[in-house]
Formats: sequence, C-alpha cells, structure tokens
Amino acid sequence: MTTGVGAVGTSGPAPLPAAGPFDPPARDEAVISPARRIARLAAIAVAYYLGARLGLRLSLVGNDVTPLWPPTGVAVAALIVFGRSYWPAVAVAALAVNLPISANPLAAVVTAVGNTLAPVVAVTLLRRVGFRRELDRQRDAIAIVFLGALASMLVSATIGAVTLVASGSITTAELPAAWAVWWTGDAMGVLAVAPFLLCLPLFWEQRRWPLRRWVEAVTIIVVATLVVASVATTGPHIIFLTLPVLGWAAWRLQLRGAAPAALIASLVATWAAAEQVGPFEGRTLLEQMVTLQAFNACVALTSFFLSALVSERMQTAAALSAAASELERRVEQRTAQLSAANTRLVQEIQERSEAQEQLSHEEARAQREHQIAETLQRSLLPDRLPDVPGVALAARYVPATADVQVGGDWYDVVQLPDGLIGLAIGDVAGHGLTAAATMVQVRMALRAYALQDPSPPAVMRGVHQLVAQLPVPEMVTLIYLVYDPATRRLRWTNAGHPPALTFTDGHGAYLEGALSPPVGVTVDGSFTEASQVLAPGATLLLYTDGLVERRGVSLTAGLDRLDREASAAPVDDIEALCDRLLDTFLDEDHIEDDVAILVMRPAISVDGELDVRLPAEARNLVQVRSALRRWLKESAVSDHDVNEVLVACGEACANVVQHAYSGQTSSGELVVEARLDDDRLEVRVRDHGHWRPAADRGGGWGLQLMDALMDDVDVEHTTGGTDVRLRRRVQMGGEG
Amino acid sequence: MSDLARVDTRRTGTTQLVRITGELDLSNARELTDALGHAVPTGVTHVVVDLSATTYLDSAAIAAFFRLSQRLRDRRQDLRLVVPDGSPIRAVIELTRLSQVIPVDESAPEPSDPMAYAALPHDGVPDSTEPPPVADAAEPDADGTGTADGHRNG
Repeated sequence: MTTGVGAVGTSGPAPLPAAGPFDPPARDEAVISPARRIARLAAIAVAYYLGARLGLRLSLVGNDVTPLWPPTGVAVAALIVFGRSYWPAVAVAALAVNLPISANPLAAVVTAVGNTLAPVVAVTLLRRVGFRRELDRQRDAIAIVFLGALASMLVSATIGAVTLVASGSITTAELPAAWAVWWTGDAMGVLAVAPFLLCLPLFWEQRRWPLRRWVEAVTIIVVATLVVASVATTGPHIIFLTLPVLGWAAWRLQLRGAAPAALIASLVATWAAAEQVGPFEGRTLLEQMVTLQAFNACVALTSFFLSALVSERMQTAAALSAAASELERRVEQRTAQLSAANTRLVQEIQERSEAQEQLSHEEARAQREHQIAETLQRSLLPDRLPDVPGVALAARYVPATADVQVGGDWYDVVQLPDGLIGLAIGDVAGHGLTAAATMVQVRMALRAYALQDPSPPAVMRGVHQLVAQLPVPEMVTLIYLVYDPATRRLRWTNAGHPPALTFTDGHGAYLEGALSPPVGVTVDGSFTEASQVLAPGATLLLYTDGLVERRGVSLTAGLDRLDREASAAPVDDIEALCDRLLDTFLDEDHIEDDVAILVMRPAISVDGELDVRLPAEARNLVQVRSALRRWLKESAVSDHDVNEVLVACGEACANVVQHAYSGQTSSGELVVEARLDDDRLEVRVRDHGHWRPAADRGGGWGLQLMDALMDDVDVEHTTGGTDVRLRRRVQMGGEG
Repeated sequence: MSDLARVDTRRTGTTQLVRITGELDLSNARELTDALGHAVPTGVTHVVVDLSATTYLDSAAIAAFFRLSQRLRDRRQDLRLVVPDGSPIRAVIELTRLSQVIPVDESAPEPSDPMAYAALPHDGVPDSTEPPPVADAAEPDADGTGTADGHRNG
C-alpha cells in the first residue's frame, strides 16, 4: 500500500497505447473488495506452494538441490501484477513449504523470510527502474534478468544458505555450493516462471489473437515441446537446437509465445537433469548444474530479449505508422486550413473589389460635385457682361482641373452714373464654398459701394471693412478700376493683385501704382488711387494669377510673356483675344489654379474720329481695315456701306503701301483718319512719300474703285506726301 | 500664307473646287493665286474658286484672278468664280467687271454633277450651308426704315 508512485519509470520511451504502465496494482488495491483480495492471497499462496512442490520434484539431489525453484517466479509475478502488499501470501506459503524440510521451525521461518524478502526486493527494484510487465522493451528484459532474477535472489540465497549452516543442516564448507545452487535455482525460477505468468494477463489486456494466431501458437508450443523433449532426452549436446524454436516463438508471438515456450523448455531440461537423461546422463552434479543453468539462462535471455526486440520493432513500426497517419491527418488539416484561408482570401479580394467599386462611385460623386461646384462658380459670376456703349467687353472664367473645389476668382463690370464704367477682378484666397461665399459678398459689396461713390479708394475701403468683419477673415486681392469713356481716363486702386495690362499695336504696359496689401490684411485699410489715360485703340486686360503663375517660372517672366502675347494678338476681336490668351497660357488638361480674365477695349473713336498710324506695309492693311470696320460699326454705319468704305479706303492704303515709299529702305508711316458728321463720312489716307501717276499702277482699278464707291475722292500731292480724302454719305443703322 | 485667308480644295471628277475663307488683299492675293495656278493638276478641266466665305477683296486680288484666269486658259482649263448675292465682295466684282472675263456664279456646283455646272441658272439658290455673311435681312424692322433692300448697290 505504500509503494512509491514515483518509482514508475519516466526515462524510457513514452508508453504506447497498447501497453499500460507498471503501476495498476496501486489503483487496483484501492477498488477491489476484501473478499477478492483474500481470494487473490489464497491463490498466490496455493500457486506458490504448488510451484514449490514442483520444484522439489525437480531437485537434483534429494530435496536439497533444486536447479529451478518456480515459487520465486510465482512470487515475483504475483507481486508485480497485484502489488507488494500481497507479500503475506508469499510468506505464509514459503513457511508452509519450508517447515517440513527445515531442521527446525526457526530455520523454516528465517528461510521463509528470505524467500519473501527476495521477491519484494525484486519488485521494488523493478519499479524503481520503470519496469513494464509487458516486457516489450529491451530494458524490461534486462531489468527482469539482472534486477528481478540475479540481483534480488542474492537475498533469498544468502539467507537460506546461512540458515542451513546455522541450523546445522550443512557444514560451513558446503556453504558456497549450497548458496550457488540456491541462488541459481531462485534466479531460474524467476526467469522461467515469472515471464510466463506475466504474459497471461496480456491475453486479455492486449489485442486478441485471431484463430490463425492461436493455431500458430499451439504449433509453436507443440514443436518447442517436441524439440526440447527430444533433444533433452536423446542427443548429448544438441540441446541448443531448442533456441531457434524459441526465437521463432518470440519472433511471431512475442512474450505470449516466448514465455510459455521458455517455461516448457526450462521445465523439460530441468526434468531431464533431475532424471539424468540425455545430456545430463553420467555427469557430475556440478556439470549438470552448469549445463542446466547455462541452458536455462540462454533460453530466458533468447526468449525475452528477442521478444522485447520484436515488440520494440513493432511498436516503432506502429509509432511510425501512427506518426505517418498523424502527419497525413495534419496535412489534411493544414490543407483544409489553407483551403479555408484561400476561401477567406477570395472573399476578401471580392470585398476589396466591391470597396474599389464603391470608391469609383465616390469618385464619380466627387466628379459630380466638381461639376456642381463649377456650375455654381459660373453662376456666381456675371452670366453676361453689360452692353456698354463705347466699350467692348469680354471675359472668361476657367476652373482648375486639379481641384475639385470651387475657386475664388471673380470679375465684374458695373455701369456707373455719368457714363462711368467700373471694372473689378479679384481672387479670394482658398477654395470651397466659404471662398465662394466671400467672393459673392465682396462682389455685391463692391457693386453697392461703386454705385454710391465710384472713387476707387472709397470702394476699396468699403470692401476692406466688409472683409475685415467676416467671421473668418479671408485674404482678398482685388483691382478696381473706373473708366471714363469721355476722357479715356482710367482710375484704379490695386489691393495686392497682379497689375492690369494695357496694350496697343504691339506695345504693352502694366498699370503700376496705387498698390496696397490685399484687403482684409492690414488694420487701417487706407488705399490710394492712380490714373492714366488709355491710348486710342488700346486694350485693357485684367486677369488673375492663375493665368501667369507657373511652377518654376518667376512672376516677372510670366508678366513679360503676357505682355508679349497680348500685344502680338490681333486687336479687332477681343473675344478671340480671350480665347487666344487662354489657349496660349493654359494647359487644357492640367489647370492648377482657376483663371479669370476680363478684357475691355474702348471704341477707337471717342469723339467721332478715327486715327490709325501704322508702318506702310502690306501686312498692316488688315489692321487698318479692322480698325476702320470697328469704328464704322461703332458709329452705326450700315454693314453694306461699311464694306464699300472699307474697299475704297483699302485701295487708298494699298496705294500708299505699294508706291509711296518705293525705293526707300524702310517703310514710312501710313495714317488713316476718319470722321463722321451725321451721315457725312470723310476718310483721310495720308503718307509722307512720293505720289506716282496712276499709269504706273497696275490696272488703275484702285482709283476706279475709290471713285465708284465714294461720292468724292480728292487726291492732294505735296512735297511732304500725299493726302487722299474719301467722302461719302453713309446709311446709318448698321445693326441690320 | 498669312492668317488672313484659309484655302480648302476638293476635286470632283475633272472639277477642282477651291474655297477661300477670309480676306484677300495686297498682302496675300498674288501669292495665293500663284500657288493655286501651280497646284491645279493637268487633268482638271474646270477650276471653281468659291468666294462665298471671302469677306474682303481688293483690286490686287482682282488682278491676281485675271492672271490666274490667263494662266489656266493657256492650259485649257476654265476658271469660274462663285460670289453669292449679298456678298460683301459683290460690289468689287461688279465694279471691276471681272465677270466679263471670268464667269461668276452665285452658287457652287453640286459636287455630284460637276458637268451640269455650266447649266446652272444664274439666280441659283446659294449654298444653304454657307449663308451670306452679311445678313442684311436679319432684322428688317430693326430701325423701322425697311430699307434693307435699298442698301444693295446695283
């Protein structure tokens, strides 16, 4: 009951499912009934006693020398299977055996103690090394041979032999021989009997044998018995032929075959020795003992080692097979996991694709918003510029392509009292609806202030106050100009905006001066005014920075370029001018900042007169015509008459170009002046060259046309040049 | 060629159609007609210069057309001009009596029937796709005078 559980070996290979550890006795003891325990005790005692009687029958010399002492095997097996607590059965049986053959009761008791103590020691040692009664490992075979049999039986042999001497049964000189016989007898009893008894529970503990296996087992036992019986009784030295049969049994059936075969072999051999037949015939006692014990040892070692080896092999194979199937199972499991992961991945990809689709929807929505913003921005700007007599106006707004937000660029034209025209262009910093809202407020405020007092500083101060009071002050750049058509005077103030450009006939100039910080930035908001008379035929261009600002290009370079491009553009159509500027300066696919431009060109004639001065070159004829055409139309001359006057004037100018300065290295000046008094038109075409007779000029159609198309053509030659006056009454109402 | 005028040409059978859009004056007329004279292939029997979209024409251009006509006649190629009624250049054409040398029609021939060209009625309907630039009848009541037709120079 007190056996240490810790004695169970843990150093060996992990026990396989088929073989339980060598500790079940402890658990059995706890649950079995006392009656069953007593039955077991009785059974052990009876078996021990019967084994002893068998052993005595096999003694070589009377009752003294028993080469095989089965009771020790019975005791060891019983204590291994049922536990050490069953020792009293052994003790009682041993006493019962020894009482009749001992010199006195005391000697019998001591001998019985020795016979009991030896199995207990054996079992204790086996437990300590983790012995498994299945004997399916080589270490178990080694353990039962060396610890269970040879070592432990020293106890019983020593105690028994010494008791024999002490009781006077033998002399001291006989002690070594008696001790050796006792020891080998006990050890062989353990080796021959114990494994056989230990194999018996395996028949129901381990996998049941099929019928085929039973047939084989019986065959093996029969063959082994026959072989052993024949060799042990006939041949003097061929007893070793038994060994292959034992090997066969161990190979095929392991312990369950080897242990019975070994027991039979040992019993038969011992019986042969006791009967002094076969190889034992005519031998001395010592020779018999040596031969018998060597044979028994060989039988035991062969059987148990071989069966243990085969068991181990089979276990290894089973383990490998189990490992393989485990591996297969894990592969299947892993495959299933991978498959699941794959499914998840596919699902994830699908989800992502759906998300992508959603994103495209978002993009589409952003695009729609951009369109809405752009529409909003356009609607916030003047949808059409006012028709102002005496000035032509054109404007453009281009939203940024790179920005989904509404821009802050704006422009406005206000017709003011006394025929004044107010022009404004500005840029509210930032984008989005806030900037757009500020833009609208600034624009409306500017209109209101301008109508109240057109003075540029006054208007700008009002705007400044408004912007400064905004909940979220924004930076606003702004140019405000007032143009007086009567005097062609421009008055302006500039709050941080790129300067306006004026240009005429290839010459441009920026309106410098009256520059102040952007509105809403400074505290005081004081603004100055500058003014300039717009040259006849000059064009005014207002713009926002998006037109001229480029990454990596200085503003100065941008302004220079604008000056060049605007000045070089044809002047007669400011709508075309706007388009041309946008084409030139903007990359249609990528407009970084929104752009607003506003162009104003006053009528060439302010007081009814046209005055055009150009180099007398053929390429300038078209400019003269466009200037005259514009002037005539603005003067409300009918289209029909405009065309005829243009032809007449064109012929006069062509004459100048062709003839006036021929022979000179550089062309002189062509001057075209026109005036209209009511419906009386006079066009003067002058040069400073030489007049040549009409005969020199191809066809003379020019003069003919002039004569035909005008009421009166007067050509006056002076040394200073020629003066052609073309006069005609014209039809008014050119709108038709 | 200057920016003043643009030239489009199209050949239909033996007829070469040349359409001039813009203005012809001293600066570009000679250059343009000379280029035309060189460009017309020999297989062409009729050259039609459509001036429906020409907004200005001066005496230098008239002279250039005379030269072109002479040149083509030498190559047995007929030159015809198309000047619609109401065209701004109509006056110049008539005043220079160009039509006495070069036939002037009011509309271009049908591309599908080039040989019927000469049979076109003189007052044929102008090409509907190219209305005369001067729409003097667009607002006949604009000034209430009803003198739109009176502007025509006969």
